[in-house]
Amino acid sequence: MTTVSVPPVALPAFDRGRAGLVQQVRSEWTKLRSVRSTWISLAVIVVAGVGLSALVSSVEGGRWAQLGFADRAQFDPVRFSQTGEFLSQFVVGVLGALVVTSEYGTGSIRTTLSTTSRRTTVLAAKLIVIGAVVFVVSEVTAFASFFVGQAVLLAHGGRALPAGSTILDQIHSTSIPVVSITDAGALRAVFLCGVYLLLLTLLACAIGFVLRHTAGAISAFVGILLVLPLIVQILPTSLTHSFEKFLPSNLGLAMIVVTSRKTDFAGVLLTPWAAVGLLSLYAVVVIVLAAWLLVRRDA
Amino acid sequence: MITASRVTKTYGRTRAVDDLSFDVRPGVVTGFLGPNGSGKSTTMRMVMGLDRPDSGVVTIDGRRFGDLRWPLREVGALLEAKALHPGRTAYDHLLAMAQTNAVPKARVVEVLGLVGLESVARRRVGKYSLGMSQRLGIASALLGDPGVLLFDEPVNGLDPEGILWVRTLLQGLAGEGRTVFVSSHLMSEMALTATDLVVIGRGRLIAQTSVDDFIASNTVSTVLVRSPGAGELAVSLRAAGGGVVVRDDGGLLVTGLEVARVGDLAHAAGVALHELSPLQASLEEVFMELTSDMVDYHGHAPVEVGT
Repeated sequence: MTTVSVPPVALPAFDRGRAGLVQQVRSEWTKLRSVRSTWISLAVIVVAGVGLSALVSSVEGGRWAQLGFADRAQFDPVRFSQTGEFLSQFVVGVLGALVVTSEYGTGSIRTTLSTTSRRTTVLAAKLIVIGAVVFVVSEVTAFASFFVGQAVLLAHGGRALPAGSTILDQIHSTSIPVVSITDAGALRAVFLCGVYLLLLTLLACAIGFVLRHTAGAISAFVGILLVLPLIVQILPTSLTHSFEKFLPSNLGLAMIVVTSRKTDFAGVLLTPWAAVGLLSLYAVVVIVLAAWLLVRRDA
Repeated sequence: MITASRVTKTYGRTRAVDDLSFDVRPGVVTGFLGPNGSGKSTTMRMVMGLDRPDSGVVTIDGRRFGDLRWPLREVGALLEAKALHPGRTAYDHLLAMAQTNAVPKARVVEVLGLVGLESVARRRVGKYSLGMSQRLGIASALLGDPGVLLFDEPVNGLDPEGILWVRTLLQGLAGEGRTVFVSSHLMSEMALTATDLVVIGRGRLIAQTSVDDFIASNTVSTVLVRSPGAGELAVSLRAAGGGVVVRDDGGLLVTGLEVARVGDLAHAAGVALHELSPLQASLEEVFMELTSDMVDYHGHAPVEVGT
């Protein structure tokens, strides 16, 4: 039988400072890395991102000669390389929500909140850790997808269009266009792919704090990305045009469209950095709501 | 030291805790006793700053939870043993907790050893039995080596050896001068473990006392009598000021009269006795009697002793 004795491990004195953000960030990182779903989700982001880029670039590269004018005009080698982002936005949504709702689901949120006397520290630490992890993985994936995509296009006889080429030049080009990361807008578009996924992650995490249920939080997140656009579509046309550019999904599109090649999006989308600003604003609003509710509600 | 001062907490229309005040002193184990649903867990959550009282104050060593700078180092709690992410190992669960309050990794290993989980520390807690989860919960309460400890029903799911282990552990922790507050719905368990008692029912304080005083002042002696002339005897017992309850088997439970007096009365009434025996109400019965009108969900076998 175990009897209790004076603990041999001396704990550091705790008369100074307080359990704060640094300690909480360490803890959240331990929690994040110690469950399997994190690594599966991150692997899906990387594999789907790079894999889909290789796949669609290969398909499109192989049939350039058969494409009609409209398809050729719309072809954007950067956006094509980021096809996987459509899937990844849901993966990061689930990941961001689960960081919070899995704790509410199991009740372990009460353990988390009983180790700190400032609840907003928990919110901040979760946003920092999941945000940092998703951002790094998303950026690596976005750039890898870009380079893999362009390499596949090159392998299919792709060629860079001369500087100053227009959409007409692209339509009449005999080989599928390829872009370099140094081309106008390309670096920004690829970089903002990661930023878009980061902002969605923070949004999902904050929704998790507001709704506190996995199914509810994920439904809300998917609803914002998939259902909201459908609702806006059935509004009278004039209203649709006023609202659709503010939809989170279209803000994402605005971030990765290379505007120098824009064709069908003219006037429909915000500029890339305005889109970053507005989506950040959405995230901040939900985060503030989450913080307010977290401090007020019983755990 | 845990102090609750006039604490009230309402969820919707349910008053879970009603104007509750008590003190839990350091150095002894204090049992927190009440039927299921009497507000014990709610009170413990309020101590831990998880639920906010509608009115009143709960303090730990004179400070509210929200004013503690290193909470894990000052108060440890086992509230819900199964409130764990099933996919995480016990070691990682404790490590994540330890990191929030700058508790070193060596202490994680130490508490795992203390509760006897070192051999399964790298296993996912989803595979743990309730007993193992209870041990992990106790380890997490001890992690920051706090002076104040709360345990909500810590022996649930433990085998007899585990129950004995918890009892010894709690008394050892109190013996080191810590404040140890343990909830239970089992009076008999508390009689063996605790020195002091806080008894509640429907969120209200019923008694704050020592276990010994509680038993002495609440144990009502009862006399069981069997007689072929039970009806006649009951009349004369009542006439003499005794309380009489007729049991289903025809036996009479008599309160308020000594055994000898019951015998004399039977003799005077000319009634033959087949049995005359003193009964001591068990602790469990005392407790149930005290809280009988405070239990939200009754079964259908009312307690007769002491009526």
